[in-house]
Amino acid sequence: MNLSFFDQFSSPCLLGIPLILPSLLLPALLLPSPGNRWINNRLSTIQLWFTHLITKQLMTPLNKAGHKWALLLTSLILMLLSINLLGLLPYTFTPTTQLSMNMALALPLWLATLLTGLRNQPSASLGHLLPEGTPTPLIPALIMIETTSLLIRPLALGVRLTANLTAGHLLIQLISTATIALLPMMPSISALTALILFLLTILEVAVAMIQAYVFVLLLSLYLQENI
Amino acid sequence: MPQLNPNPWFSTMLLTWFTFSLLIQPKLLSFTLTNNPANKITTTKPTPWTWPWT
Repeated sequence: MNLSFFDQFSSPCLLGIPLILPSLLLPALLLPSPGNRWINNRLSTIQLWFTHLITKQLMTPLNKAGHKWALLLTSLILMLLSINLLGLLPYTFTPTTQLSMNMALALPLWLATLLTGLRNQPSASLGHLLPEGTPTPLIPALIMIETTSLLIRPLALGVRLTANLTAGHLLIQLISTATIALLPMMPSISALTALILFLLTILEVAVAMIQAYVFVLLLSLYLQENI
Repeated sequence: MPQLNPNPWFSTMLLTWFTFSLLIQPKLLSFTLTNNPANKITTTKPTPWTWPWT
């Protein structure tokens, strides 16, 4: 059957076996488990240093109560980072291109921040719906606008990650198709396209890391407002 | 767009949360940091002194 460019994003299936399970589990297996020793091997030490860096960066703007979210947010960014970066290898499937996975992560976590705020400090959470210093005639319109922007947050969070990664993978596939197709006809143009592909791959590595960071950063910002 | 096919949505959601909460979080939790987390220590300002020029 003829494949279209979008078929790389269909949930992978081999002989009827869904492969989404190994594609989700394998990035987790790449994270090392430290031993019982005080000083571990270099990989574990680098992992620990990196985790510490991420945790400090995420937890600095949060108050003491927000530090309970440290494990959740750090493990989320590590999972997204590893999944996004591994998806850049050829012939791998990136689960974060699936809207189902990103919405499954974004919606419950956003809802958790919202409910935390509404439960512990309801008037302060609702107070975010009206920015300080708005002129009185604008108040009803602004409350509706702020409520809409609040409710669209999980959708934006999930779709942002999905769209960025999907678009990146699609671009890589399109440009590599162009490179291969141009090779017999115009090899110099093909070389130029290969150079563009190289630069695009570097961009995609950056995008993979940035999108993972942005996802978790926005969640921590929503948490900051509500905790 | 194949991402909008609702068939695998439930299993993807379930597997994502299983991986996230049952695999990655315990692995991360087993890393122990050497120092306890503490706020930045604000040292007392040292008393300034000038060089005793002769």
